[in-house]
Amino acid sequence: MSDFKVNHRDGEGVSVIELKGYLDAHTATELENAFQKLLNEKKYRIVVNCKDLSYISSAGLGVFMAYIEDVRKNKGDIKLSNMSPKVFNVFDLLGFPILYEIYKDEKEAVVRFTEGKKS
Amino acid sequence: MSRLRRILFFVIPIISIPAIFVYDVIRAAVDLDVPSMVYVREGLIVLSFSSIYFLIEDRRTRNRGIATKEIGRLLMVSIAALVMTGTVSFFQLASQTNQEVPHFRQSSLALFLSTFVGVILGIFAIYTLQTVKDLTMFKRRKGTRRNYAFYLVSMLCACAGGVPFISTEAGIVATIFFPLSILAGILNSFKQNWIVYLSRREKIYSIIYSALLFLALLFLNLLLVQNSAGSKALEAFSRPLRTFVQINAIVGAIYFGMSFVSTLFHLPTAEVFERKQSELNSLHNLGRLVTQVFDFNDLVNTVTQMTTEVCGAKSAWLELLQSDEKTGLLNVNVVSQRNISREEIDTLAAQDNNSFRRLMLDSRKVVLIDDLWNDRRTKHVKERGSLKGSLLSVPLVAHAELIGVLHATKDFANGFDQDDIDVMTTFADHVTIALENSKLIAKSIERERLQQELEVARKMQLRLLPQRMPQIPFVDVAAVSVSSLEVGGDYYDFVSLRDGHLGIVVGDVSGKGVSAAFYMAEVKGIFLSLSKICTSPRDLLVRANQSLVESLEKNAFISLLYAILDGKNGRLTLARAGHCPLVHVSGTRCELVRPTGLGLGLTDGKIFEESTEERTIDLHKDDVCLFYTDGVTESRNSQGDEYGYERLVDAALRTRNFSADEIKNRILEDVRTFTGNRTYNDDMTLVVIKWNGSSRGKV
Repeated sequence: MSDFKVNHRDGEGVSVIELKGYLDAHTATELENAFQKLLNEKKYRIVVNCKDLSYISSAGLGVFMAYIEDVRKNKGDIKLSNMSPKVFNVFDLLGFPILYEIYKDEKEAVVRFTEGKKS
Repeated sequence: MSRLRRILFFVIPIISIPAIFVYDVIRAAVDLDVPSMVYVREGLIVLSFSSIYFLIEDRRTRNRGIATKEIGRLLMVSIAALVMTGTVSFFQLASQTNQEVPHFRQSSLALFLSTFVGVILGIFAIYTLQTVKDLTMFKRRKGTRRNYAFYLVSMLCACAGGVPFISTEAGIVATIFFPLSILAGILNSFKQNWIVYLSRREKIYSIIYSALLFLALLFLNLLLVQNSAGSKALEAFSRPLRTFVQINAIVGAIYFGMSFVSTLFHLPTAEVFERKQSELNSLHNLGRLVTQVFDFNDLVNTVTQMTTEVCGAKSAWLELLQSDEKTGLLNVNVVSQRNISREEIDTLAAQDNNSFRRLMLDSRKVVLIDDLWNDRRTKHVKERGSLKGSLLSVPLVAHAELIGVLHATKDFANGFDQDDIDVMTTFADHVTIALENSKLIAKSIERERLQQELEVARKMQLRLLPQRMPQIPFVDVAAVSVSSLEVGGDYYDFVSLRDGHLGIVVGDVSGKGVSAAFYMAEVKGIFLSLSKICTSPRDLLVRANQSLVESLEKNAFISLLYAILDGKNGRLTLARAGHCPLVHVSGTRCELVRPTGLGLGLTDGKIFEESTEERTIDLHKDDVCLFYTDGVTESRNSQGDEYGYERLVDAALRTRNFSADEIKNRILEDVRTFTGNRTYNDDMTLVVIKWNGSSRGKV
């Protein structure tokens, strides 16, 4: 559990959060803090890169639920990318693909934001 | 002293002294002279006064007061003795001037007066002896007892020298020992340790008493000088007694003269000593702090009250630092104040960079401001015109962290000296410990309370799960739910519907603990009520979502798998709300049935309804269906591998020919073998449904 990590970087008006390790009830607060920080800075265009995410629990999924409403209210979005099949299955089981845009690649997700801006 | 002895000591003088008087009168009248009777007479006198000595001592030990009071009592006794002796002397001088000693014997009145004076002065001398003894022995040092014993022995020897008809050498003995005993008395008079422990007020009284006593004893000595009327009267009664009285009067006068001078010199230091004493007492009272750790308000109030006591401050207040959970900034809270208003504290602690509070937070050292109005740190107080005087602030440091500050003020400048600072620093350490203990106790009580709450939630949750398996024709049912924590998030339930239909639900409430138990109760309520109304599982989920999306927290959701089994026809209709797929074993085939569907509480109405699918499966005889939670598939072994769907499917295929209960046990066993008997890190629920077939199968 302790090897969970949230990395955050900014680029092209889109903020990327990189997740690493286990996202469960113990580590969920770290992700919450990362989201809260972005919201405080009024950054609502967020891509969550799940490349190194090895596990996500219901508490972890709950974190996305907690912030999506606020983000979308501010004309932003949380897009997900680079999920391993196992992690995708957890998201998929709960029906997340219906509610969230999930991309194979981070760039693709970032491009979606910029495209949306143009149109 | 026992009652009997007290009575005996009382009776002896009561009988002896009148007897002596009667004997004297008779001897005077008849003029008989039996030499041996003189010794009997003196013996009786010694016996009587010894009894009186013990009586007085007994009385004194029972009402022992402070030194000043003792001196006051002796003063009363001395004055009484002085007045009586004076009166008798005057009376005799007036009536019988220039009378020789033998003349006394001729008058019974004279004899009576002589006896009277003897008794009075004897009592006085004994009282003086005892008081001086007590004061001398107040603080015993090595030589004290020896010196005093020497004084006693020489005094008794001097007295013995006065016994009539003892050889002339005895007269010499008396003249040697009399000055010797006086000398010893002078030595003893340097033992004045009791004065040190008196308060200022007591010292003043003691000065007055000592002075008066010195004068009274001086007069008494004048009355008893050689050949004075009083002396003669006393000598007529008993010569040894006269010596005894005289020595005690002289030694008493010396002793109390010395007391007077000593006390006078001690007076300037009285206040300092008194303060030390009260500081000492306050520090001893610190025990009070320890007993009050259960009530925070009591504790902090005692702290400020004791602060004023330990350093004689006018006012005191206690500030605690609490870090704000959101901003992480330190807040200073005044938790207790005494003799100072909140406005005055706020004025003092004005939050600019020069303020003494800032200074304290930065330096964590004792801050002493000798003059509030003229110190650069608190000059602003003068402008407001409040709080004159001096201020002492002591930090409370626990585990190298500043937890608070204790402040004390006096309403005059330079009020705090080094002693105050030392005492306050010591006191602050004790306060810190008491506060920390109080915190720890509060924490452990809180933990206990949470534990109890969880226990209640766990019991409640256990009652939410079915207490026994449903009995439906053609359907074999088994279920198990294990929880890793006190309160888990797994839920399963059955409901018997009409026409031999059975509703089966398995769900997982996100989150754990008390909130999970509440959500579970809510789900159970919704499930039980809707299952009677909705004939379609999809319909039930849609309506359940409507209720739950409003009541669940934003980050909470519930995954659910709901199926209705038509026992008669072996038809299973199911809908899935984000839950694990159904495992369907039919013969040697095994399928994961996973109709699309969203978790409950994720999104409202329309999207949910659009994305939730319903599916129907026709079962064959001996088909097995597994409902479970992700705790089963996500169980991990020590290498971190998950049990996963494949292993579950394999286990289902292996065990399909057993009864539902046996299948349940064997799959659970398989999971345990996989995880290596590690404790479950999640909740795990498994419901096994086996359809035994019916008429439809035979047809």
